[in-house]
Amino acid sequence: MRAGVTNLVEVEDLHVHFGAARAVDGASLHVSPGEVLALVGESGSGKTTLIRAIQGLQKPTSGQIRVEGEDGDAPRPKIQTIFNPSVQMVFQDPTGALNPRQTIYEIVAEGLRIRHEAGEEVERVARALSRAGLRPPERFFPLYPHEVSGGQRQRVVIAGAMVMEPRLLLADEPVASLDASIRGEILALMRRLVDETGLAILVVTHDLGLAWNIADRVAVMYLGRIVETGPTEQMLESPRHPYTRALLSVVPETREMEQQILTGEIPDPARIPSGCRFHPRCPLLQSGALPPEIAARCPTDDPGPTPVGALSAAACWAVPA
Amino acid sequence: MSEPMLSVRDLEVTYHGHGGDVPAVRGVSFDLEKGDSLGLAGESGCGKSTLANALLRLLPAGTEVTGQITLDGKDVLNLTPGGLRAARWTSGAIIFQGALHALNPVQTVGEQIAEPMLVHHTAASDSAAGERVVELLRRVGLPAARADSYPHQLSGGQRQRVLIAMALACDPLLLIADEPTTALDLMVQAQVLALLGDLKQERELTLMFITHDLSVLTYACRRLAVMYAGRIVEEGPARDVFENAAHPYTRALAAAFPTIGDETSRMAPSGLGGDPPTPGRLPQGCPFHPRCPLAHDACLPVEPALRSSGAERSAACVLV
Repeated sequence: MRAGVTNLVEVEDLHVHFGAARAVDGASLHVSPGEVLALVGESGSGKTTLIRAIQGLQKPTSGQIRVEGEDGDAPRPKIQTIFNPSVQMVFQDPTGALNPRQTIYEIVAEGLRIRHEAGEEVERVARALSRAGLRPPERFFPLYPHEVSGGQRQRVVIAGAMVMEPRLLLADEPVASLDASIRGEILALMRRLVDETGLAILVVTHDLGLAWNIADRVAVMYLGRIVETGPTEQMLESPRHPYTRALLSVVPETREMEQQILTGEIPDPARIPSGCRFHPRCPLLQSGALPPEIAARCPTDDPGPTPVGALSAAACWAVPA
Repeated sequence: MSEPMLSVRDLEVTYHGHGGDVPAVRGVSFDLEKGDSLGLAGESGCGKSTLANALLRLLPAGTEVTGQITLDGKDVLNLTPGGLRAARWTSGAIIFQGALHALNPVQTVGEQIAEPMLVHHTAASDSAAGERVVELLRRVGLPAARADSYPHQLSGGQRQRVLIAMALACDPLLLIADEPTTALDLMVQAQVLALLGDLKQERELTLMFITHDLSVLTYACRRLAVMYAGRIVEEGPARDVFENAAHPYTRALAAAFPTIGDETSRMAPSGLGGDPPTPGRLPQGCPFHPRCPLAHDACLPVEPALRSSGAERSAACVLV
């Protein structure tokens, strides 16, 4: 089943297992042109493995990943970011991601050179820098990473991705290591690229404020699966899954909500709990407020993953379908 | 009120490097009453960690520190080596940032928690220290068996709990937490903040909390001080400062963390261009003026001093 040919990426029932550990265990999601999808979850939820699989850095155990511009039947090349220029990656720490001995020009041109797309190199590098807000671009050509500010370094990383003229940007915690004041300018840049060029961004984060700032949709991942997905306003203002509600309740700014601090950490993906995988930590189940016929299902029946192509869904027995 | 737990006057810290002198803290004064909590906010390089380390004289040898620090009645900058050793861990203890690097990889966490007790003779014997380790581990929410684990066998959140247990080992009066939650994800951060809050309550700890995340400080502390270029530029009751900042820099920091549900920040991330100034090469006048959206001619001639901006509040800006 294809959710629609307009999607840039469709991930369907994806499994990535490492031995007994089911890091990704039946995840489905899609991203359309011109939208930002925030993939949210705790450490150990499988979100980084999922985007590494989209990028082609991680071989799926089973399931489908369809990326626009790729032949669905052909085996996927190993490193998607090199072989498929339409998917590019932005890493977390700009200082670590940039070679300190290369000029900004060389850094941004590198992707083109690897792909032997040397034609119009200067123009393309200039265009990418300028898109990333580094203007006039020529001024930045000869500079080294340490000669520009922290915010500008992250812009260089983004320019290095944009030079390939991607349709989809994968961003793993793009502002987590940046100072508070720089955070906003980088998020504003990402949103502007989406609005102005039709780029799509899949951003992995544990920062719900980031989602509120730039995302059209939010998908919440828990133990290898998307457990709730929906438009940002709905997800952050009236979440339905008890896990999403708990995450939201511990954001320091959401002070009106009663805090639901879950105990412990995400369970070992080699020992995924029976029934609903969230049931051992579920505050709703523990509250005793659920009708007995529902509470009885949680430890034994798996509510299943959110469906392929779903725009709004929650994998929870207590949420009406 | 009685004498404050911590009193800092005109503190200046200067690193002498190869490239010249680097003034990291440039005249900071504040008082922290017993049982109170102060959040210290600011970007990388603003001097907040230097300030924290100066409070227990943990800075590299050769660093110039002037001014006055009175902790638990002790004149910290003039303590003898023996007096200083006694003050560390018992008068004040630090929970360091970077839970992995702060722990010794080849010692069990139990040994590391016991060490300050044995050095400071707060535990009479190895077995007494062992009992206390178990008690501390339980208190921070870890099973007693974790005493035999090595740091790499623990998750980031568990390592942070170990560092908290270690800081509590000698029953300090002042607990300084330097970015204790920065590397942790949302739920673990909430767990650690709740634990610190409970500990503060039950032990009547005085708490100093350092991070660039203003929203965390507002949640965790009663008072808030914002640092920029080595000085406190705004100070006051935390919620008050966060919601109604007087200094344009505080406003920018506060706006960086949007309130979910607030329509004005939806699809509108708010930032501040540029980098904090390099210590040693500060701009003339108000050091914030090159990045300040409200800068004008009056900001250039002199650096504004901290002055009253309301009840219990002060800010260093010509517009106040």
